[in-house]
Amino acid sequence: MNKPTEKVKHRSSGFLRRVLKHTFSGWGAKIGLMWVGILVIAAVFAPFLANSMPLLVSLNGEISAPVFRYLSVEDIVVLIAFFVLILLFLSPLRHSIKSLLLFFLIIIVGSTIVSKQFVTVQQNVVYSDFREDLKTTNYDWVVMPPIPYAPEDYLRDSQATPLEAPLENSEYTHWMGTEENGGDVLSRMIHASRIALGIGFIATGIAMVIGVILGGLMGYFSGIVDMLGMRLVEIFESIPTLFLLLTFVAFFGRSIYIMMVIIGLTSWSGYARYIRAEFLRLRKMDFVQATIASGLPLRSILFRHMLPNGIAPLLVGLSFGVASAILAEAMLSFLGLGLVGAPSWGQMLNQAVQSSTFNWWMAVYPGGAIFLTVFAYNLMGEALRDAIDPQLAKKAGVVG
Amino acid sequence: MTEKNASSRHLVEIKQLKTYLQSANETVKAVDDVTFNIEKGETFCLVGESGSGKSILALSIIQLLPAKISHHPSGSILFDWRKQSGLGLGINSQQKTTYEKVNMLDLKENQLCDIRGSRIAMIFQEPMTSLNPVDSVGEQIMEALLLHHPEMSDESARDRALTAMQEVQIKDAESRFDNYPHELSGGQRQRIMIAMALACEPDLLIADEPTTALDVTVQAEVLKLMRELQERKGMSILFITHDFGVVSQIAHRVGVMKQGKLIEFGKTKEVLKNPQHPYSKKLLAAVPENLPKREKIKDPNSEKPLVRVKDLDVFFPIRKGIFQRVVDHVRAVDGVTVDINKGKIIALVGESGSGKTTLGRAILQLQKPTAGSVKIDDHELVGLSSKELKPWRKKMQISFQDPQSSLNPRLLIAKTITEPMKVHNIGNSDEERLELAADVMEAVQLKRDFLWRYPHEFSGGQRQRIGLARALALNPEFIVCDEITSALDVSVQAEVLQLLQEIKAQRDLTLLFITHNIAVVEYLSDETIVMKAGKVVEQGYTDDVCGNSQNSYTKELIEAVPRLKL
Repeated sequence: MNKPTEKVKHRSSGFLRRVLKHTFSGWGAKIGLMWVGILVIAAVFAPFLANSMPLLVSLNGEISAPVFRYLSVEDIVVLIAFFVLILLFLSPLRHSIKSLLLFFLIIIVGSTIVSKQFVTVQQNVVYSDFREDLKTTNYDWVVMPPIPYAPEDYLRDSQATPLEAPLENSEYTHWMGTEENGGDVLSRMIHASRIALGIGFIATGIAMVIGVILGGLMGYFSGIVDMLGMRLVEIFESIPTLFLLLTFVAFFGRSIYIMMVIIGLTSWSGYARYIRAEFLRLRKMDFVQATIASGLPLRSILFRHMLPNGIAPLLVGLSFGVASAILAEAMLSFLGLGLVGAPSWGQMLNQAVQSSTFNWWMAVYPGGAIFLTVFAYNLMGEALRDAIDPQLAKKAGVVG
Repeated sequence: MTEKNASSRHLVEIKQLKTYLQSANETVKAVDDVTFNIEKGETFCLVGESGSGKSILALSIIQLLPAKISHHPSGSILFDWRKQSGLGLGINSQQKTTYEKVNMLDLKENQLCDIRGSRIAMIFQEPMTSLNPVDSVGEQIMEALLLHHPEMSDESARDRALTAMQEVQIKDAESRFDNYPHELSGGQRQRIMIAMALACEPDLLIADEPTTALDVTVQAEVLKLMRELQERKGMSILFITHDFGVVSQIAHRVGVMKQGKLIEFGKTKEVLKNPQHPYSKKLLAAVPENLPKREKIKDPNSEKPLVRVKDLDVFFPIRKGIFQRVVDHVRAVDGVTVDINKGKIIALVGESGSGKTTLGRAILQLQKPTAGSVKIDDHELVGLSSKELKPWRKKMQISFQDPQSSLNPRLLIAKTITEPMKVHNIGNSDEERLELAADVMEAVQLKRDFLWRYPHEFSGGQRQRIGLARALALNPEFIVCDEITSALDVSVQAEVLQLLQEIKAQRDLTLLFITHNIAVVEYLSDETIVMKAGKVVEQGYTDDVCGNSQNSYTKELIEAVPRLKL
């Protein structure tokens, strides 16, 4: 008699794994994933990819890395988060999702606090000093980033006209040209991918958490809870997000975090509707009745038994939601209400429109990036929807 | 000459037919080398368990399978196509009739459309989904008529449709003509389907499990109607069913299918009485009537009620108007008083909508009763909060009908079984609980390492066993079995029923077995409760209730059961 506790020989794949495998079997979703992957790499390693300061220098045999001295708190937290995620993904230890999430959150909060203590923010960096320094000091060797311009490195002093088409100038190589202040467009694009990704994930994450909790309660309890919840949903659906954002920008100034929260707070109603409908269906299913008959606590019924079975349509909505959050931010920045200093794709488009002459490189690259990103998320959303399609699920025997 | 006569007797000749279904990367031999004839004016029954290919065979005859996923590597389906030229329908018309033998596999789509509906008609299992919900039933019959007889005027089509409705014994056909499908009962809807199929006077009617979704009394009426209509009209019927009782009621000849092959066919009496093929023997032996009878407990002295239900009401409010005012109630359970004696198997029978499932769930407090009392071991359950109910939850468990929805598809079986144990503090560690769960799996005759699988990897019968295992894991005293064998094939049903008895004996369980299948009741239960429209009609020892009931409703119910007449 073999004990079940000994070695688990037969462990079949879970539903999510099957769905993901099917989702990314098509070329559309693969391309989408690849583009998002490129964006993630660009966002995480932005200071090392596009910066005016050298990565490594050697002066009389002593090696130093000037770029590290100028890293901001955000740069460090993003880097730590990235490597922790990679480690967690690769680690052979398999914990529950709950403990992993908790661990990840602790790391993020911890590293934020620690780096706030130790990192002194360098203000008013004069980027041309680095170029002067490189010319005057006699370094043994220098490793520069692939794009040797920081996004705010405006090259004002060295240039007669700051505006340059791609590869126009022979002295400085700008692969995508420069904007009207002389900043390198490619460098700005790379740094802006951070905002695009961050706003997409965080705003949709906030919306999803609120939507799942409220929608779940509405669906499970139905009756009066459902009625009140649906009225709340309708109230939030009637709020025009854009005008609320404009108002908040006017009141509280321009902050990417406020933007994330507002977009999140106003877009949860769709997710709540999805989850409510799913829970209304699941509530009467036999396996949920069986959990009630076994006296399981409500938390387990809602989140272990019902949520995983109802999350599928939400995942599809999620990928479309990320795309629309990115668009919302781009729209705000385009209207000139985005962030002041930091570059964002929408703000770059705005510059292209406002400039007196039409400079195609200022419109094509950020516009193309917005288009590609939204397109990538939509491709993945479509593929996910196909993978979750009930007919297919039926074939896999998941849904009756 | 004799040869010609013989062949003209056959309406359909199927020779070496193969139908292969193509899915993503595998070919399923749904129909595999089947040869048989359907003669004019006979009822040919196809029986077999689910997945045996009987429906695919029927769809192959009428050529309704999508060409994209199916093909016929070999075989032929010869159909004696009756062609009429000239106007009119029925006896008075003046028309010339010619016969032409055609191979259905070679016909073009427009020729097939001429045959479908007018020469070969089909009715399906679920009459609600087969009818268009936005047209009245009369219009739908007219539409079928006008499609095949475009020369007909609207008035004469209406008259024909009305006649067809009267033929299928729909009372007050004139006023029913303008009803929509949802306004009719299941039996009436199936009659409308039959009327629609018969309106064009087809030579062959294919009936795919037409009575499976119906209650047993309604089924008896529909079967009687089909027998009469067939004798009157002289058409042939290809009748597909899984129920040997129905076979013995209606079929002239019967064919047994298994995995796409027609393993045996012949005269109904001969096949049922003296099956040749081992599989037919096994199937017939698994029919509840043929299972070895068990000793029934019939001792009034040993009776001690475990669960006492008194004056239990479960009402569902009907709300109407803008203010959702409660105008009336659906009385799903209406003043039920029942004692469930310890250590017995009690059957709860009734037709659909009689409130038996609601009663079962109300006893377990899964459905909040409107009024009344439910006591287990003299402890009142009605009105307790979910926290107060928790200690009682492990004493009473439930097992469900639908094997598809009764297990959480996202959880390992191990998790499904051990989670309730943890909540009720059974076993001290996860390892111990897994060990206990594996023991329970063995008790329901499954392998121990099945714990590490997901529900979709199991067959329907296995899932029902897992459902039982989940209930047993808490060591309950009382289990409500809600139609647990209804969705299963007859041979699997027999296994589960035998398993249920073994477990009951080992663990000294009390079972409330909810079912609509009288044969199962007679085989399994010690006592029987009969429900109708929310009320208990009769209650007593199974032998008394099923053998010589005094109640008129019970009598009607028992008589309607299609029996294997041997």
